[in-house]
Amino acid sequence: MSEVINLQDKIKTELLDISSAINEIVESYKKLHSPLIETKENVPKATEQLDKISEQTEAATHRMLDTAELITQREDEVITGLNKIKQFVQDKEYNSINEQCDELAQKASDNSNDAFVIMDALQFQDITSQQIDHAVVLLEELGLKLHKILTVIGGSEHADGNQPTNSSKKRAFDPHADLFDKKTDQTAIDSMFSKK
Amino acid sequence: MADLKILAVDDSPTMRRIILNTLKRAGFQDVVEAVDGKDALAKMEVDNFNFVITDWNMPEMDGLTFVTTLRNSDQYKSLPILMVTTRSVKDDILEAMKAGVNNYIVKPFTPDTLKEKIEQILAG
Repeated sequence: MSEVINLQDKIKTELLDISSAINEIVESYKKLHSPLIETKENVPKATEQLDKISEQTEAATHRMLDTAELITQREDEVITGLNKIKQFVQDKEYNSINEQCDELAQKASDNSNDAFVIMDALQFQDITSQQIDHAVVLLEELGLKLHKILTVIGGSEHADGNQPTNSSKKRAFDPHADLFDKKTDQTAIDSMFSKK
Repeated sequence: MADLKILAVDDSPTMRRIILNTLKRAGFQDVVEAVDGKDALAKMEVDNFNFVITDWNMPEMDGLTFVTTLRNSDQYKSLPILMVTTRSVKDDILEAMKAGVNNYIVKPFTPDTLKEKIEQILAG
């Protein structure tokens, strides 16, 4: 009889241990669930931001290269034009000198305008810089979530001294900053202000 | 236009240079730069400006807080303010209007748009 009671006690103790272990697993799962979901969501967001930066940098760079090519082409034409003027002076063709000077002045003016086109295109740097800041913040959040997961999986050894920290740079960015995709275009904004 | 003194507030050095060059080309020669709202308020304490161009997302003090601060003071209640920002979500624009900006440009902008908005504000 006493053997049966002993066995019952042993089974009871084992069952309590199993129950306790199951509870711990459930608790760990609960702790892991939220960071895992957030981590899963943040990875594609950060990847998307980085792809956007790459695409928009390339597009803006091409716009600047196209304009720089036009400027250098015009500079070659200016050199040719100046040589022509030199020849016209030698040949005393004063009407042609006049025409050539007008043409060169127009080219200089076009070059000045195109230099401003390049300056405009450089606005991409502010936008991609905000996109990079957004991606950095997402990656920093990812680091914190992974730290939480490691802490739960690996116990206290990961919790001490290894806490990832956010970079010291103060980041102020628009999460929707985009070179091409304006949520509201300037005409619609003008209309909102005209009704003010 | 010649006696207009503009304060251009933006945390991006690239944007400040672009705005400065665009303004000078448009005929506005007297332009002072500030890196955020806090820096702008400090500059306004020692200098008089009759036009402000400000970004929204900036560290220390953002553009919206800066505009609200100006509108809550008797001295700057009617100072012309143009917001130039990447924020193009309609609710953001409405919030800026509510804070008291006179007009709003979404980046990237063209030099013509900047000049046009300044002239519109000045014309009242």
